Amino acid sequence: MFPQHDADFALATLGDLKILDLSEGLAGPLCARFLGDFGANVIKVELPEGDAARRWEPFAKGVDAQEASLIFQLANVNKRGVTVDYRTADGIAALRVLIADADIVVESCKPGMLAELGLGYDVLRADNPRLILISITPFGQTGPYRDWQGEEIVTYALSGIMSISGLSTAEPLKHGGMQSQYEGALSAAVAASVAIFTRDLTGEGQHIDVSLQDVVASTLVIQQPFYSWAGAVQGRRQPDGSAYGQVQPCKDGYFIWQTGGGAEWQDIAAFFDREELKEARFETLDGRQRHAGDLDRNVLEATQDRTMLELFRTASEDYRMLFGIAQEPKDIAACEHLRARDFFETAETSAGPQTMPFRLFSMTEGGAVFRCAAPRLGEHNDLLLAPAGSQQ
Amino acid sequence: MTVFGRENLNTQKPLPLKGLRVIDSTYMFAGPYAGAILADLGAEVIKIEGPARLDFTRGGAFSGLMAENEAGKDPWNRTSTYNLLNRGKKSLVLDLSKPEGREVLVDLMKVSDIFIDNFTPRVMRGWGLDFPNLKKINSRLILITNTGYGHTGPYSAYPAQATTQEATHGLAAVTGYPGGEPSKAGQSYVDFIAAWACMMGAMLALRYRDRFDRSTWVDVGMYQLGCFNIGEYLMNWTANGEPSQRIGNRHRQFAPQGTYRCAGDDAWCTVSVRDDDDWAALTVAIGRPNLATAYPTVEARRTAHDEIDRAITEWTKARGKIEAMETLQAAGIPAGAVLDGRDLHLDPQIRSRGLLEDMPFPPERAMGSRRPVIGRPWKFSGMAPKVDQPGPVFGQHNTEIMRETLGYDAVRIAELEEQEIVTTRPRWKRTPSEMSLDERVRVGRLAYWDRDYKARLGIDDMSDGDPQ
Repeated sequence: MFPQHDADFALATLGDLKILDLSEGLAGPLCARFLGDFGANVIKVELPEGDAARRWEPFAKGVDAQEASLIFQLANVNKRGVTVDYRTADGIAALRVLIADADIVVESCKPGMLAELGLGYDVLRADNPRLILISITPFGQTGPYRDWQGEEIVTYALSGIMSISGLSTAEPLKHGGMQSQYEGALSAAVAASVAIFTRDLTGEGQHIDVSLQDVVASTLVIQQPFYSWAGAVQGRRQPDGSAYGQVQPCKDGYFIWQTGGGAEWQDIAAFFDREELKEARFETLDGRQRHAGDLDRNVLEATQDRTMLELFRTASEDYRMLFGIAQEPKDIAACEHLRARDFFETAETSAGPQTMPFRLFSMTEGGAVFRCAAPRLGEHNDLLLAPAGSQQ
Repeated sequence: MTVFGRENLNTQKPLPLKGLRVIDSTYMFAGPYAGAILADLGAEVIKIEGPARLDFTRGGAFSGLMAENEAGKDPWNRTSTYNLLNRGKKSLVLDLSKPEGREVLVDLMKVSDIFIDNFTPRVMRGWGLDFPNLKKINSRLILITNTGYGHTGPYSAYPAQATTQEATHGLAAVTGYPGGEPSKAGQSYVDFIAAWACMMGAMLALRYRDRFDRSTWVDVGMYQLGCFNIGEYLMNWTANGEPSQRIGNRHRQFAPQGTYRCAGDDAWCTVSVRDDDDWAALTVAIGRPNLATAYPTVEARRTAHDEIDRAITEWTKARGKIEAMETLQAAGIPAGAVLDGRDLHLDPQIRSRGLLEDMPFPPERAMGSRRPVIGRPWKFSGMAPKVDQPGPVFGQHNTEIMRETLGYDAVRIAELEEQEIVTTRPRWKRTPSEMSLDERVRVGRLAYWDRDYKARLGIDDMSDGDPQ
């Protein structure tokens, strides 16, 4: 049975829900964490060897290997943790007891594996018709690729996004980090929220099947209908005459600008302070695309002696331009705006205090609350697991 | 076995958001996408635009393309991005710059559940329509705001868009070829994160309201959403003082990993070797088993990564990207072909899961009978949400909303139309692009285009006996 939830979560948006997180890696655990952030009582179940993410870099230096993964720390705050070897009959029995008591199960096993363990959705549903099961896998539970091997770069390639990323003269490029996992986590949490809302109305649970390939492909809202509207296919940018809308160098770093926002073309020409840019040929999108080389040259010359921060502030405050600067992690860690938004939290982990990103968005009531650091491997075994069979 | 989505026989259940009314006063990608999916799930979503302030996706850089790249009589109703992101909604064109227009909005707020906007923070405040005042208008109205930086903090007044924020929220700094500049990838990255955040906020706020009978304001700032998604880089800095590195397509831990050239025009296949077993399998699959003994450890493979990449490329460049992918997957190795915009429509997995749904168009739209668009990346066993209407024509539901939703009489409606507070006629200054598809290819904005795309997609109106 789930342990009693902290009393002060009675008024949290999801404070009445019990969630069992069987998932590994980043997407599944982070999805379960997001639900925990809004007050759900989350138990993370790991195999005795621990979630694979415990072995994922980067590691906090000088910390016991099992607890050092920063990705694991990030993805598993606001949970309690137990170890169950559900490859054994006793383990499966223990898991079934927990599942029967749960509102939501999040899992990322190879499709079909839960069914092989006797824990397929039909079985779980018979025990607990209100159960919501969320499965998050690279390709989903159906289709010809369902049993294929996934990996971040593979999902990225098959989602279509790499074909428009990088230079036309080089290989297609993926985003840094694990964007399909972060995207999958949030997207799955949306689907979970819909299923929770639906269950509140109907009393019935359901199985949600999330494919990371579909998740990333869902972001291509320009590229995809190019084809179904006119048969057009976007490629990658050419090395010359395409800096517009891309990252460009300035004195001490990189910046990026766009038309739109509150700025008219003449405001933009005034900001860059170049006579040539005031010419009519640059005023329209067609014109800027036709004269892209001249546009790039003017902008580069105009900004080579200006700093990132000065450009950012002047463009944003005085010219109402859409303007960005290439911030490094150290810049973001020190960002006053993020502090003002209560973005960071410090978790007391077994690796000492760790400052980490926390808040996705603010709510006047019912918003995300930080409760506790990620559990150490098996930290709550004594609290949560009585021997199988001794429970009601 | 669980039955998902389309095959689900139990589709007679009402969609879960049926009966909820959402006012969608957002433009561009994030807010509109959230509204579109709420509509897929059964909500009545009313999109508000101004007579002179059309959604930016109705023309210009972010509008995608007009059907057949032809402007037609109403180019603003023909663009791909607009239709994809506003499907299933009703259109009300309302001049909010006039007090009479805002009176209509207030009336609509009185009978709605959710109001979503992406105005810069000063706009709603200036109209006396900030959250404390909205609660006085309708104590059950949920407010969702989506802006670049959120409504609080020192950057809150800065204009922003996902393209420029991709640099500011740190993703560009960790993206790029090794040794090269910070790079953007894909398109409008954080908009989609924000769309999901708005949706999650909406669902949570609805539940909170049901449980505690109180409305809330969900304030989404895109900047922090983007920063969250480089979490491990931020923590590596705060925990270890380690700056980030741009490593292109390689993996921070595994080796080898990369994007390898295949036979064919701009054809590529990605491969990732997670462990020694994958490595052994790969060396056999590419006919170079000696490499397994030469580089038995990940450390050795990382040191020899360039040489290993050349060996993999020798194999991949002799076959097509799909053959390379299928051969390696059959050997248990993570491998994926780089799909382009056309491939997405033909990929067996995406087709089998039905990610792309046919958006139907009525004949008067002159858009052809249907065009595939992205649906949702989830399958629900208990319900079947779907794309069932295109983006509405500008002002299409003005009268219906005024008469039926707001209960206005004919005199009031005529008055509002007379004063052009409510109108179907856009005051539209933008001239549609006149660039042909061939010219777009020439200037590098497109890779190529297929004249016969409708036949390839099976949406040729001739092919289903529905000639134009």
